[in-house]
Amino acid sequence: MARIIVVTSGKGGVGKTTSSASFSTGLALRGHKTAVLDFDVGLRNLDLIMGCERRVVYDLVNVVNGEATLNQALIKDKHCDNLFILPASQTRDKDALSEDGIERVLNELVKMDFEFIICDSPAGIEHGALMALTFADEALIVTNPEVSSVRDSDRILGIIQAKSRRAQTGGEPVKEHLLITRYSPKRVENDEMLSYQDVQEILRIPLIGIIPESESVLHASNQGNPAIHFKGTDVAEAYEDVVARFLGEERPLRFTNYEKPGLLQRLFGTK
Amino acid sequence: MSKSPSSLPIEIKISTVVAISAILHSSDPIAIDAALKQMTGGVSDFFDDEFAVIDVGAIAAGATYIDWRALVDLLKKYRLNAVAVRGATAEMIDAIKARGLALDDGAGGDRAREDVAAASAAVTIAPVQLSAPAPAPQPAPQPAPAPAPQALALPAMIVDTPVRAGQRVYARGCDLIITAAVNNGAEIIADGSIHVYAPMHGRALAGASGNAESRIFGLSLQPELVSIAGVYRTFDDGFPAELARQPAQIRLVGDRIDISSLTSHR
Repeated sequence: MARIIVVTSGKGGVGKTTSSASFSTGLALRGHKTAVLDFDVGLRNLDLIMGCERRVVYDLVNVVNGEATLNQALIKDKHCDNLFILPASQTRDKDALSEDGIERVLNELVKMDFEFIICDSPAGIEHGALMALTFADEALIVTNPEVSSVRDSDRILGIIQAKSRRAQTGGEPVKEHLLITRYSPKRVENDEMLSYQDVQEILRIPLIGIIPESESVLHASNQGNPAIHFKGTDVAEAYEDVVARFLGEERPLRFTNYEKPGLLQRLFGTK
Repeated sequence: MSKSPSSLPIEIKISTVVAISAILHSSDPIAIDAALKQMTGGVSDFFDDEFAVIDVGAIAAGATYIDWRALVDLLKKYRLNAVAVRGATAEMIDAIKARGLALDDGAGGDRAREDVAAASAAVTIAPVQLSAPAPAPQPAPQPAPAPAPQALALPAMIVDTPVRAGQRVYARGCDLIITAAVNNGAEIIADGSIHVYAPMHGRALAGASGNAESRIFGLSLQPELVSIAGVYRTFDDGFPAELARQPAQIRLVGDRIDISSLTSHR
């Protein structure tokens, strides 16, 4: 049975698209047929981060309006054969997405035997974000360890509980996962940042992973490759952990402790 | 759930009405009439066509004959509508039923009141609660017709999920009990009192329709704003540190919001 997962946060710039890209890539690398949909109509970032912006012909709005078929619009990922990207339109506005249209597209994806359908939500709590979360079975709540981001995540959790199809029809509630991104153990140590325990105490949903703050995310975005492809980096490993936990494996939390650099490290400046 | 009840020709629900309890210490209509006249002081609308339960428990043992018709007419004269008899003996039952009065088994609770009343006038009035007789025209899925609960207060509204930023919970006409966290940016409102058995942030408004006796209770309080019966207090400089994050209650004392610990005194 296909699972529809919305990646959302309320606040902008916290790492939704970065996480959508790496999460969907991670699922595909483990052999699951995965689609990732960009709901950020009017801005369009996912195809840049996935490095397929030059292959975009049709987009989500075209499919919703029946101007193109899903097969025409889905772009096969350059690394994984079983990962497909449905980009957003840059020339329309968010109101172009209708609930009926989205439902049709998602149903069609389910019929095409996609196991995981990732909906990359725009920031905010307006129409685009609502459309992204309406049909979700599960939600990845992307949060930075910082009060305004936590507050916005809290808000979006409330909206999921009220507005999702599952909530409206009285079905089983949407399964929520907390993904903390841009985490810096050093700044937590110095009390410049909320700890992951603080964030969890406020939001009270299960933690699926912590992605450390890292320059490699910027490199990855600029190159058009999801960060999970950069083997050996903390960020790639953290995203691999997230995917493993999502698929039911046990993984210990990593990248949460600050280790003071040793003398040699300080002298020679490794890392 | 069942079909919309409003489409049925009859709808059966438990309801509670308040009735006057007329406790007799004499079966003599003339003595009762005199006592009522004295009590009402000749004011014709002393009673306002209220329901009345005739309580004969105190005289049932000694009284051999009660003229129910005269009694009902007498109460009617004083604008009391007799609907039931309480404390009747087995011999009285036929006569009571013949008059169209219901029998109230009055499951306990009235002994004490009678004892207190015994020394006073021949007719004592006290508010009692009376469950409306519930006819059962169809085999509705209805619990066994146990004696109706005596105190039918509005049940509190209970919330077991976190109340998050931007969410608002309103307990209309009753208390609000929340067993999960209330976060900053949330608003919890009750016409009665508010109880939160988890960390409480956000805004809490008790006694929203004006009940100044309402309170807010919490295991760990750190609200942004509290209000009781429209009197509010914000915490610009933070919630008082000595009361934060511990069991406390918030009351209205005069026109001031008072916060006190629930651990320091017992």
